[in-house]
Amino acid sequence: MKKLILKSALYVFLVLISLELLVRVFHLGKDTPTRILDEYKVEKWMPNQNGFSVTGNRRQNFSEYHINNSGYNSYREFTPTKDNIEVALVGDSFIEGFHQNYYNSIGKKVEKSIPEIEVYEYGYAGYDFADQLHLINAYKEQFEAIDHIILGIKFSNDLTRGEYQVVTGRLALESPVNRLLKKSKLLVYCKSIGILDPPQRLFYRLMNILKPTSKKQDASEEEILRIKKEKENQYLANFNNLIDKYGYDKNRFTLLLDSRITSNLFISYLEENDYNYIDFSEYFEESDHSTTLIYDRHWNNHGRDLIAKAISKYLKEKELIKE
Amino acid sequence: MLFNSLDFFIFLPVVFIAYWFFFYKNLRLQNIFVLGASYLFYGMWDWRFLFLILASTTVDYFVGQYIYSSDSNKQRKRWLWVSVVFNIGLLGFFKYYNFFVDSWVDLINIFGYKLQSSWTLQIILPVGISFYTFQTMSYSLDIYYKRLTPTKDFISFATFVSFFPQLVAGPIERASNLLSQITTKRSFNYIQCTEGLKLIIWGLFKKVVIADSIAPIVDDIFANYGSYPASTLILGVTLFSFQVYGDFSGYSDIAIGTAKLFGIELMSNFKFPSFSRNVAEYWQRWHVSLSTWFRHYVYIPLGGSRVSKLKSVRNICIIFLVSGFWHGANWTFIAWGAIHALLYIPVFLMGRNRIYMNNVVAENRWFPSIKEILQILLTFSLVTFSRVFFRSESITDAFGFLKQIYNNFSFEIYEHPLGYRMIDYFVLLGLFVLYEFRIRRDERSPFKFKSRVVRFIAYTLVILGMLLFFDDNIDRSFIYFQF
Repeated sequence: MKKLILKSALYVFLVLISLELLVRVFHLGKDTPTRILDEYKVEKWMPNQNGFSVTGNRRQNFSEYHINNSGYNSYREFTPTKDNIEVALVGDSFIEGFHQNYYNSIGKKVEKSIPEIEVYEYGYAGYDFADQLHLINAYKEQFEAIDHIILGIKFSNDLTRGEYQVVTGRLALESPVNRLLKKSKLLVYCKSIGILDPPQRLFYRLMNILKPTSKKQDASEEEILRIKKEKENQYLANFNNLIDKYGYDKNRFTLLLDSRITSNLFISYLEENDYNYIDFSEYFEESDHSTTLIYDRHWNNHGRDLIAKAISKYLKEKELIKE
Repeated sequence: MLFNSLDFFIFLPVVFIAYWFFFYKNLRLQNIFVLGASYLFYGMWDWRFLFLILASTTVDYFVGQYIYSSDSNKQRKRWLWVSVVFNIGLLGFFKYYNFFVDSWVDLINIFGYKLQSSWTLQIILPVGISFYTFQTMSYSLDIYYKRLTPTKDFISFATFVSFFPQLVAGPIERASNLLSQITTKRSFNYIQCTEGLKLIIWGLFKKVVIADSIAPIVDDIFANYGSYPASTLILGVTLFSFQVYGDFSGYSDIAIGTAKLFGIELMSNFKFPSFSRNVAEYWQRWHVSLSTWFRHYVYIPLGGSRVSKLKSVRNICIIFLVSGFWHGANWTFIAWGAIHALLYIPVFLMGRNRIYMNNVVAENRWFPSIKEILQILLTFSLVTFSRVFFRSESITDAFGFLKQIYNNFSFEIYEHPLGYRMIDYFVLLGLFVLYEFRIRRDERSPFKFKSRVVRFIAYTLVILGMLLFFDDNIDRSFIYFQF
């Protein structure tokens, strides 16, 4: 019996080492850059990091990222000047674009369409509207030199708070324990493919065993509608709070949104108050091909093409480049 | 509790360690513990159905005693009927009641009478009922045929009926094999345990990598057969052949491997049926525990092949139809059984049904001959054709599927419903077939390599395969649980 247990343990250990090796050799697991909180309390990536982002069990999506000197995934360094024409894309993981090679990003696609401009991509997974305005405010000088700023916004996700505070949950991923765990590519890979979800679920199930469970009551349709309306009003109030606090240049700022998943209340508000926005829903609706990746809901190359097309069209109409 | 679930990965080591550390000295305690673990294993699905197992156990335990102690044949037969009626009654009610009602209503409607099916009931099919009822019946039948002496130990008998590794999907054991092991003191055997672990790993590979990864493709093709060309439909049914094999033989390997950990040897259930050279050989290699059950308890009592050719053909038809019906309460399974009967009868009439009984393809060679390859391909194609009926939801769907192949006989590249690369699956299946061919001589030793290094590489690659094809979002239950 002892022999069986010892030998099994040895085999498990050796198999794990071999798997770690195989995962590294075939680059099955993604590289995760380090996060930092800078002196302005802006959360971003530690500058000057390179690596590969991988999605899917069998490397179905494999792309290279490059964190520039400013802490964002971009092929450009951000050095705006009064002479050049720069456009900033600010947003969450969709703008961050770890799911594409950094040299084939939305910004690059826009530049291909309008060679006279430079696109700076300030994308960071999890950035909401508060993060975005805080960033612009913190780096005021830099952003003032940028000619136009496009802010990606998802109404139901990005307006849940009316003031900026550092999101400690994301930074907790940089705890010493997590950093140590990240050193194992096998562990990162297993986590990304969901093999660690069942033990995690079991753990939470056990943790909640002693907690009294509140019975879920089915809300009536009116109740659901009322809650939805309340939330929409709250999000709109948050939008106004943030704009009041940080300011919003209606001539230079444009929102990038999908009207299919944006509340009519918000769209009407934007229109009534002369906020500019780019609605890419039409492009996606007309598309014959899928616009998202297989394994997650991020835009695939085709989706990014369409976004770049929508932005380029808008910028051309905006006539940033004087003839 | 599923073999491929986290619950089982916790359950198994706990039970294994407790079994060998705390209960190994006393056989009775060991059996009580295994029985408790088995009831827990089953009860985690639905504890209410434990009463059915208990009822079946109790009835056959006493029926066995009564058959044995009865003096007259008439009385023995009467007691046997009690067991048969009770077990078939359980099956009939839980599995076939709605089928009979619906079929009766359909029949009446054919004659122009309008009848609504209002007698059908919302019945949940208890997992494994087809397996454990057959197992308990075999006990009474063996006592009836004087092949077995009944046990007087109820705990041992209950453990035999509900032994958790094989409780829900077999192998369907005979008392002469399993009960005799349960009533004998078991001692820890290192080699047996390592063999068991190897079988568990290989079984998991077949389930997680082969069966589960193919399942979404098969489901998509069968659900939308009307919109696909022949090439896709042929691909779908071929992949289903691999899926059902990976699923069921994977389950059996895990069951046999798990039993080995507890010092119990279960019978082999799959002996590489994909390399069969005719349909008769296929049935000697596919779901062996069920086919031998029907052979021993239906075919031979009917006269088997020792009667006239005509009667033998009748007997073959009966066992294939009954076997098809055993799989499920649907005409599709009966049609599937009928097709196999039609495929088997010519082989039987030509006297070729026993020629491959004691050898495997390319017995003493590395590679099969051209003739053997053609035989294997033909058998595989015929069996795969029959699976159109096995997999379809209804007879109408099955014929619709075949009609679509005929009407839209064209080729089109199939794209995975979730957008994955199809080439991954073709490479995987190619390697799987080659590996299975390599190990074809011994179904109980999937990692039979002399070199320890090669063996270790094989383990690593098998586990890597599980990672590469793992998908947490799919239904991971076993196909044969529904039977």
